[in-house]
Amino acid sequence: MRIIKLNRQIKKRLIFLFIIFFCFAFSIFLISYTLKDQIAYFVSPTELKKMDISSDKYLRVGGLVKSNSLKFQNEKWNFEVEDEDGGSIKVEFTKSLPGLVEEDKGIIVEGYMGKNSIFLAEIVLAKHDENYMPQSAIDKMKNDGIWRGD
Amino acid sequence: MFAITPQMMSNFFNSISKFIILLSIILIVVAGVLIIFLENDYYQGISFKIMFIHVPAAWLSLMIFFSMGVSSIIGLVFKSPTSFTISRSLSPIGLIMSIVVLITGSIWGNLTWGTYWVWDARLTSMLILAFIYLGHLFLLYSFEHFQKADFAASILAIIGMVNLPIVKFSVDWWTTLHQGSSVFKVSGPSMTTDYLITLMVSFFCHFVTFILLVYKYFLYHYRK
Repeated sequence: MRIIKLNRQIKKRLIFLFIIFFCFAFSIFLISYTLKDQIAYFVSPTELKKMDISSDKYLRVGGLVKSNSLKFQNEKWNFEVEDEDGGSIKVEFTKSLPGLVEEDKGIIVEGYMGKNSIFLAEIVLAKHDENYMPQSAIDKMKNDGIWRGD
Repeated sequence: MFAITPQMMSNFFNSISKFIILLSIILIVVAGVLIIFLENDYYQGISFKIMFIHVPAAWLSLMIFFSMGVSSIIGLVFKSPTSFTISRSLSPIGLIMSIVVLITGSIWGNLTWGTYWVWDARLTSMLILAFIYLGHLFLLYSFEHFQKADFAASILAIIGMVNLPIVKFSVDWWTTLHQGSSVFKVSGPSMTTDYLITLMVSFFCHFVTFILLVYKYFLYHYRK
């Protein structure tokens, strides 16, 4: 069975295309590897503590809203953002929060590091995860005792 | 395999066109009913239902670009006119799909995240994909001779394939506002079965519509 007969011309064209593709792919890899800190959209509170931060650096910090920390007092929202590694940061926000911001749910805060290591947020975004399920499925899991959330 | 002529492709499309139109009508009704009667997400409420347009369109825009790249390689290496015709008919559909992804995504983003647009890795690489589609389409129509246009556009399609893994894996490689993938995960899909079935029906609905559009564009290019 001679389905594909690779003659010299065809081989030459294939090699030419592969060289173009791999040169381009490699250059894109080098660029994105060098810029990986800029491409990353946010840092976790633990990573933030390791960085040396000046007060005029615009930062994005992401994590979960700590349970029992979301409070509204003196026209300000106060809450803590924590991550899985145990780091956490206090955040202050003066505008209205997006509807999906809840305790133990994902959040991204953008702004500047203030005094007393309180983060002064200018923009707050809710970050939802990739798990989708109806309330009835959660109730069923709670009944069966296999629900691990909350 | 490479002896397929545009005539054979056109005959094949003609013979299945009635079946495809019937299937697409059935699938649109079934997918619509499923989506309407599906229970809302416990956290996002009704706004998550835009996923059933957003996700299939995103998968298709990646798959279409991959097919375009492969048919461009075959076309350039084996000098096959059918491959170029397929590539030419895929390009506008891919552009439509990627624009649908960007629009539905920003509506969903505004409802859940609280913003229409951010410059994170997933959103930016998807925008770049849409721009590559646009560039491909412009290249196809900016030459007087089809051979030259096909050559230039095929090189762009092959180089543009570098962007596909970046779009797909951007949520794993970098931290993004966009959530990770729900369906193709090592630990299995992270949604309940009824959501998954609806998503698959909706995907086939999009896929059949895509086949119809390919059929239309292929005949258009073939008759010219």
